[in-house]
Amino acid sequence: MKITEAFERGEFVVTAEVGPPKGFHIEHMLEEAKTYLSGVTAVNVTDNQSSVMRLGSLATCKALKDEGLTPIFQLTCRDRNRIALQSDLLSAAMFGIENLLLLTGDHTKLGDHPQAKPVFDLDSVSLIHTVKQLESGVDLGGNELVGEPPKFAKGAVVSPCSDSVDVQLAKMERKVAAGCDYFQTQAVYEPEKFIQFMEKAKQFGKPVQLGIVIPKSVGMCRYMNANVAGIHIPEEMIDELKADKEKTKAGITGVEIAARIIRECKPYCQGVHIMALGWESKVPELLKQAGI
Amino acid sequence: MENYTKYKLKSNDELVSLLAGKDNLFIVACNKCFKEFESVDEPECGELEKLAAEQGKTITGSAKVDFLCNKIQTEKKLKDLLPEGTENVLVAACGLGIQTVADLAGMPVFAASNSLNYRGYHGMALTKKGCDACAQCYLNVTGGICPIVDCSKSLVNGQCGGAKNGKCEVDGNKDCAWEKIYRRLEKQGRLEEFLNQPVQMRDYSKVNFKAVNDYVKSVRETRLDGYYGGVHPSERKEYTEHIALERFPDPEVVVIPLSMHAGAPANPVVQVGDTVKVGQKIGEAAAFISSPIHSSVSGTVIAIENHGHATRGECLSVVIKSDGKNTLDESVKPHKDLDSLTPDEIVEIVREAGIVGMGGAGFPTAVKLKPAKPVDTILLNGCECEPLLTADHRVLLEFADDVIFGLKAILKAVGAEKGVIVIEDNKPDAIALLEEKTAECSNIEVVVAKTKYPQGAEKMLIKRVTGRKVPSGGLPADVGCVVSNISTTKAIADAIKTGMPLVERVVTVTGERLKKPGNYIVKIGTNTKDLIDYCGGTIGDDITIKAGGPMMGFVLSDTNVPIMKGSNGIIAVDTDHTVEQPCIKCGRCADVCPMELSPLYYAKYADEENWQGMKDKNVMDCIECRCCEYICSSKIPLVSKIKTGKGVVRGMK
Amino acid sequence: MLITQLKAKETIVSLVDGKKAFIINCQGCKEVHFPEKEAAELEKELAANGQVTGVITTDYICNPDNMKLRLQKHMDEIEAADVVLVLSCGIGVQTVAEYLEEKKVCAACDTFPLPGFQGVTPLEYKCDQCGECYLNLTGGICPITACSKSLVNGQCGGSKNGKCEVDGEMECGWERIYRRLAQLGRLDALKCPTQIRNFATDEEVSK
Repeated sequence: MKITEAFERGEFVVTAEVGPPKGFHIEHMLEEAKTYLSGVTAVNVTDNQSSVMRLGSLATCKALKDEGLTPIFQLTCRDRNRIALQSDLLSAAMFGIENLLLLTGDHTKLGDHPQAKPVFDLDSVSLIHTVKQLESGVDLGGNELVGEPPKFAKGAVVSPCSDSVDVQLAKMERKVAAGCDYFQTQAVYEPEKFIQFMEKAKQFGKPVQLGIVIPKSVGMCRYMNANVAGIHIPEEMIDELKADKEKTKAGITGVEIAARIIRECKPYCQGVHIMALGWESKVPELLKQAGI
Repeated sequence: MENYTKYKLKSNDELVSLLAGKDNLFIVACNKCFKEFESVDEPECGELEKLAAEQGKTITGSAKVDFLCNKIQTEKKLKDLLPEGTENVLVAACGLGIQTVADLAGMPVFAASNSLNYRGYHGMALTKKGCDACAQCYLNVTGGICPIVDCSKSLVNGQCGGAKNGKCEVDGNKDCAWEKIYRRLEKQGRLEEFLNQPVQMRDYSKVNFKAVNDYVKSVRETRLDGYYGGVHPSERKEYTEHIALERFPDPEVVVIPLSMHAGAPANPVVQVGDTVKVGQKIGEAAAFISSPIHSSVSGTVIAIENHGHATRGECLSVVIKSDGKNTLDESVKPHKDLDSLTPDEIVEIVREAGIVGMGGAGFPTAVKLKPAKPVDTILLNGCECEPLLTADHRVLLEFADDVIFGLKAILKAVGAEKGVIVIEDNKPDAIALLEEKTAECSNIEVVVAKTKYPQGAEKMLIKRVTGRKVPSGGLPADVGCVVSNISTTKAIADAIKTGMPLVERVVTVTGERLKKPGNYIVKIGTNTKDLIDYCGGTIGDDITIKAGGPMMGFVLSDTNVPIMKGSNGIIAVDTDHTVEQPCIKCGRCADVCPMELSPLYYAKYADEENWQGMKDKNVMDCIECRCCEYICSSKIPLVSKIKTGKGVVRGMK
Repeated sequence: MLITQLKAKETIVSLVDGKKAFIINCQGCKEVHFPEKEAAELEKELAANGQVTGVITTDYICNPDNMKLRLQKHMDEIEAADVVLVLSCGIGVQTVAEYLEEKKVCAACDTFPLPGFQGVTPLEYKCDQCGECYLNLTGGICPITACSKSLVNGQCGGSKNGKCEVDGEMECGWERIYRRLAQLGRLDALKCPTQIRNFATDEEVSK
């Protein structure tokens, strides 16, 4: 099923995210996904997230699909040139994978193979354009595809709480122009900023899913504030986590915070995307508290 | 082949759509670089104007500029260039030029051209693509053939399966690089070495742009520190900088030229057979800009004849046979103390002592001390920016008190408020000593200057220390300054304190081809050959001997010439075995010229005998510092071409 | 224009491999970095072991004619050496290697790119000679060199506080571009069609 269909039906679309392991044994990951994520509309599979080498996104998507889940194939421009990217897109279509999230990708220097050659032959915008082109039955080189062309729901990302949100909005506009169907956002901790962002983003007429990362600990918050782009966790929120250490450790505080953010932002967006980062088990409770 | 490098105009269609909705255009085109320097103007400017006119656009003006990427020069050129009413600037240049204009214009700037992809071409410019600067040179495993550039796939572990008949699969005209590598290694018997090497893996993180950027920034800062341009040749002062001054043994015969200064040669006032004493006047100043000459020994005049001269070929000289006694002339006696001397008396002492600029130019110091305009600052040039030379450095260390005394005398003579002793940072001992000795003098300051050639040139020194710019064709006094050399200043002190005229000086005898380098106090008129012999002679053959430093010195084809007032050094160095090659318009000369000139035009115009062109490009402003020739990648003898041009231009007036 | 850096000492020592070397220092482009001190030190050490048959320090060995004129004087010393060690950029090493084809010619340096050899150098500007100038879309700031990923369609999600994800001290190129366009009233430039790079632009030059 294409995630766009759910948006069209007016659903508040919930997606979650899994990261493939460094290795090819994914039984545990599949088990967790089946147990905790069967309630969500679709599951994102990251593509060598943070430039750390892992099991491939495409293969993991196929495995999830075989288990009855709806995967979203994340595809970055970091490791593949336009030939490999298009080839993988066709492979996805063959597997019946219909949802894409198209990204530029972190720089190679940030990961565990800093010596690698960064490719960036295409970027997120030109990758969306490429998918659109394939959907019209022609590849980027202008050659016709054999048979019926593939059809995808083309997603992209945006950072609503970026310190340079105007620059992000400009890029978002270019993604829409290139043919993007829906957006997932970077993790949001400042609902006000998100609401302001949505005021501006709604002109594009594309569904936006609020990005959520459950705050696990004070340390994690501090780390993200210092190192992760587009994320800022307010001090009051960190204080909340500090207040009851046991409660925080058990994940109760984090889920409470996340649920609160979702409740505040829900009227302004078309869905939520949960990046559980190993806390997949908390997703059902989070959704319950958020009233979804 | 079309005559273009670096950039090419975008296609007509693209340009037309670029111009849509834009009007009131100013067009800038860069005269291309790294190409044969044939035409002065490239055609792009005209082509763009034509195209814009066809589109019914108003063109407010156009300009063709050399080295548009040189921000400092471009800023000067663009100033007041954009006419009122200009709304858009269209630039035909490589990306560097376009970005420079975009930063300076203050209005929308558009690129009318694409930079051509010349990655891999460097060194002698567009000869052959050869090095991709991969930061992990593989040439050692490939027999000196680059696998990154020469192999289409940049393979580093051997040939792929695509080669056919020794040709590349990508280009049938191109030899397979790995085939070439294999053959060369085979020839050198190094195949086993190749087979046994570990698997090669490229590391793309090695190109560290941060380090590169920091480096570029620092080089840029150094280049522009104090004044535009300049170079930093390897100093090689370690040969002599720690060697204390030694008195050179008295010569048996001295040959004293009657011209060791700018202006008219002196008239001899002695005759053959006359007996002379040390400090006795033997030649009289012949004009306002001239200088008297004195005997450096006591003895007998044995000839007044033409003799070999380091800078003039031949010159009338007084030849004196020493009696070995060094009897002082009666005129040599101390003057009144400095406080009692009037400014005019000081100038007169300096004039009578035959003191001239001892840095080489030999301008009569007494004339300098009577500036036509008010002067507030005296600069003592302790830079000694010429490589190898250490004469001034030693004088500063061993005669610091005399130098300070001399400076005080100049301050008084000129009526200036402030004296500044400028020393380059490669002489920390001299800086410390002079700072200590001048601590009590409220009107004397020691300024430390970052080492850069030609810092000692008057105009550069003034710009560096005071920020003032001597106008084209002007003198230091035009900006309220007088510059004096260290040895000259010490000579002034001697003349006042002891009454001794300028009859000896400190000479550095050095160079990688000299056996025993040193710093010597040498009598004027001493034979250069004797000096070299005393220093153990030279090492090996194929040597170049120069009077002065490596940058501004004069080549001595015959060492049978006398040491003169301006002889700060005698150097023996390796001969340069290069020949002049055509200019490739690399722009390095324009980048290093401290007078902000474009020396490449002088080479071109001299060959064409276009003297008006030379004049228009301000050749008379050239200070002949030789930075351009030093940096020239084609080894063009720019300074001799400039000197020829200057000679003709001078005659044109 | 380039920066040359000395290879690791162990590497250079292993190149000479206890045998005899002739050393060529190219302080070529003069203001471009040459590891003068390190080179002198290393050469002194090798010479102390009696491994050096000769050393020359010169410039622009990439100019084959002048390089030959200079080497000719030292052919005996080169003959006597097992390896010719060249301290220069890759072009210099190859020029010598081609001239001394029968000789083992080794590079003692790695070469780093220095942007802006087109004309006056080194420069504060950068141009990667991509062959399809993007400056019209970016207000005159080059996205190929100002952005770590050379993105041509806008900012990625990695910038934090206006700084690049790869280097926290580097300003995000696309942030700079956006500000410049805003300042010039040209934000409409961002409404251009999706840009796709052409990596085959060097063909024109090689013709």
